[in-house]
Amino acid sequence: MIRHNVPAGFEPKIIGFLCNWCSYAGADKAGTAQIAYPPNIHVVRVMCSGRVDPQFVLQAYHKGADGVLILACHPGDCHYKEGNYRTAQRNRLLKLLLGQFGIEEERCRLDYVSAGEGERFARIVTEMVESLRRLGPLATNHHGKEA
Amino acid sequence: MRVGVYFCNCGINIAGRIDPEQVKARLQDMPEVDYFETCGFLCSEDGKRFLAEDIRNKEPARVVIAACSPRDHEANFMRVLESAGLNPYLFQMANIREQVAWVTSDPERALSKGVSAIRSAIARVRLHEPLEKQKLDIIPDVLVIGAGPAGLKAALTLAAADRRVVLVEKDPVIGGKPVRYEELFPAMECAPCMLEPLMGDVFHGEHADRVELLTQTNVVEVTGYYGNFIVKLRQQPRHVDPVQCIGCGECVAACPASAPNEFNCGMSERKGIDFPFAGALPYAPYLDHQTCVRGKGDECRLCKDACPLGPDIIDLDAGELVKERNVGAIIVATGAGLYDCSALPNLGYGRLPNVYTSYEFERILSSTGPTGGELVTKEGEPPGSVAIIHCVGSLDDGHVPYCSGVCCQYAFKFDHLLRSRLPDIRITHLYRQLVLPGKDGTTLYREAVTSHAVDLIRYENISEFSLYSCNSGNGGTIISVGQYGKLNADLVILCPAIAANQGAATLAEVLDVSRDRWGFFEELHGRLDAAQSKLMGVYLAGTCQSPMDIQQAMQQGMAAAGYVLAGLIPGRKLEIEPITAAVQTDRCGGCRVCIAVCPYKATGFDEESRKSAVNPILCHGCGTCVAACPAGAMEGHHFTFAEITAEQEEALG
Ligand SMILES: Cc1cc2nc3c(=O)[nH]c(=O)nc-3n(C[C@H](O)[C@H](O)[C@H](O)COP(=O)(O)OP(=O)(O)OC[C@H]3O[C@@H](n4cnc5c(N)ncnc54)[C@H](O)[C@@H]3O)c2cc1C
Ligand code: SF4
Ligand code: SF4
Ligand code: FES
Repeated sequence: MIRHNVPAGFEPKIIGFLCNWCSYAGADKAGTAQIAYPPNIHVVRVMCSGRVDPQFVLQAYHKGADGVLILACHPGDCHYKEGNYRTAQRNRLLKLLLGQFGIEEERCRLDYVSAGEGERFARIVTEMVESLRRLGPLATNHHGKEA
Repeated sequence: MRVGVYFCNCGINIAGRIDPEQVKARLQDMPEVDYFETCGFLCSEDGKRFLAEDIRNKEPARVVIAACSPRDHEANFMRVLESAGLNPYLFQMANIREQVAWVTSDPERALSKGVSAIRSAIARVRLHEPLEKQKLDIIPDVLVIGAGPAGLKAALTLAAADRRVVLVEKDPVIGGKPVRYEELFPAMECAPCMLEPLMGDVFHGEHADRVELLTQTNVVEVTGYYGNFIVKLRQQPRHVDPVQCIGCGECVAACPASAPNEFNCGMSERKGIDFPFAGALPYAPYLDHQTCVRGKGDECRLCKDACPLGPDIIDLDAGELVKERNVGAIIVATGAGLYDCSALPNLGYGRLPNVYTSYEFERILSSTGPTGGELVTKEGEPPGSVAIIHCVGSLDDGHVPYCSGVCCQYAFKFDHLLRSRLPDIRITHLYRQLVLPGKDGTTLYREAVTSHAVDLIRYENISEFSLYSCNSGNGGTIISVGQYGKLNADLVILCPAIAANQGAATLAEVLDVSRDRWGFFEELHGRLDAAQSKLMGVYLAGTCQSPMDIQQAMQQGMAAAGYVLAGLIPGRKLEIEPITAAVQTDRCGGCRVCIAVCPYKATGFDEESRKSAVNPILCHGCGTCVAACPAGAMEGHHFTFAEITAEQEEALG
């Protein structure tokens, strides 16, 4: 769906599910390295990306998120061996489901950030904010934010 | 519900960007917030004392601390809460330093983001449940698999600390690879002599009574978990009583059967009953079924009759034994092998008579080896020229990309030994990279390059090599290396990458531990916990985990023993983290999805009730099963559905 009327000053809201061992540490690394990125993300810490129940994602959109970011350890690096493979498997199904709801693909991103990749974390968040700014608010949001 | 909120200024790190007074004002509408306190440095000794006292005085039901990352101080604050009489899980941190103050330039937006983080933490903490660590009885005994340098060191360290150790070795001889070498880099020490004190201690040292050595034994089944494993061992019969045997060898002389000796890489023959090699410990021969003619229906008993100590020393009818042992922890020290040189057919290994692997060459140099240490070619002549090819299969994306870190050093060890035996020998090293780490790493290299005309040739890629026979038919080899041209060598030594053991896959399966992409046993963390596997209670030592030299293998043996000594303390119970999954039995539909997804086999199925259950000792709390359960029956303690949704709802509110 292409949205033509992005309300002026629109700031997207992102829920980011970050696994404790790599990506949460990567986000912390962006902090210690003082790499600024847009504050549009709320980070929910989970022990492993494998914990991310698709229902959390659907509920996030329902409650007003414009995008959901799931960050995991790089393939092969999951602290719990294979949690991130499960996440990747689940993510494929989730994408199909979101398509059926008419939720654009860019609104849900699964990516990989290691504990040392502060810069990468900041870049991913920045990219996502920019792409959501272009997309505008999610149509299914019923918080009266739509123009 | 009364929630106490603590805001740490972290000097100016947080308060310089986020004003606590404004935060406080923006929490006014949350009735559950009982009080809001600020502190200069909450993690300082003064800060922690203040926190404990304040909690004791105000008795909040839940606590939120807005400060640095939970990865920094969550555990410390949890201890403070506990000391103040509050269950440490009734607590949530809001990371407003690393993830807000330090990354948000606009002060107004930093304030909003910080407030949102704190509000979400408050919304979440309301739902937190008090959790208790489970306490379990443990067995302090340890199984060590592999009696090479790493396993011996681990076993003896544990025994010295009064632990009972079951030391299992698959071969009839202990000492691992190095007892089969002549001398060792960097100091050119005699290898069997260096290991002798360690091996001797296993048999008759001060703590020998604590070590149960089982040779010719494999681990075939492991059940249970950290603190309480049950291991099943299968021991092949030696047929010779190693305690009474005096090692005279009369039985060996009497035996009519023979076969290639695998302990000399098939380069010599051994009898059906024989010593693996001279000086091998335990000092007693072993009878090999494959070779013994009794296996072929013959009634031979020549060895038994030859034994001067009488008929009780050799038991021809002994059978395999299955033993069970109960241990609290397991140390894997099974060593490594060499990269298979047949994957590089251009090097002529197996095709040309005088092309050897480094390990074979160690046996040729060894006084206990096939030639008794006499340095000769297949044709029986002392070699006039030797080529040593480094980095075989290493540093090569077509084979393995890593450097094994020991080959260059043993190559210069060979150089030293060759020159000391045959002073006029011509030696050429062909290498891709020279890697000689450590404070003693360059000793032998420097000696080689300064004391004689050694040729060092750097090559680009091993695929440039082509090796073929000299026409003269004297067993010599011609080596042609791309643009460098050709050279002759009477003897060629290949230094292959250190590669995972052949048996590693089977053992990994029995133990249910993971291996890395090269097949080495996988460590929990490459820097922090290289001596620990990803399975609780299973530790790693030596080259089974990564290529390394003897010094490192010994150290890792000590490290693995250290983990056991620090974790399993007799008389103390094992504390199990309460952040685990748990099945709400009434909701479980018995689909077994959780069992399929658990990386630790922590979920099991109860056939009777047709429902799943989680073993909290094995569960690492990743939550994968919780997300996967279609019935919503799996609860993830401290990361419940309700807790996470409350957090995100507040953040989006
Ligand atoms: C050619 C060559 C020369 C070298 N020279 C030197 C040197 O001069 N100096 C130096 O510091 N390092 C040297 N090294 C490195 C050295 O060999 C290793 O560091 C050392 O062997 C590592 O010890 P380990 O205990 O890890 O393994 P190993 O020595 O391989 O011992 C492992 C033991 O476990 C047993 N085992 C294997 N699988 C099982 C199983 N499933 N169940 C029960 N038991 C099992 C094996 O039989 C063996 O006894 C050399 C290596 C090579 C290849
Ligand atoms: S996935 Fe859920 S319903 Fe299925 S067996 Fe496991 S706990 Fe029961
Ligand atoms: S939380 Fe993870 S480790 Fe625990 S039972 Fe579930 S899948 Fe296994
Ligand atoms: S722990 Fe990071 S994805 Fe599993």
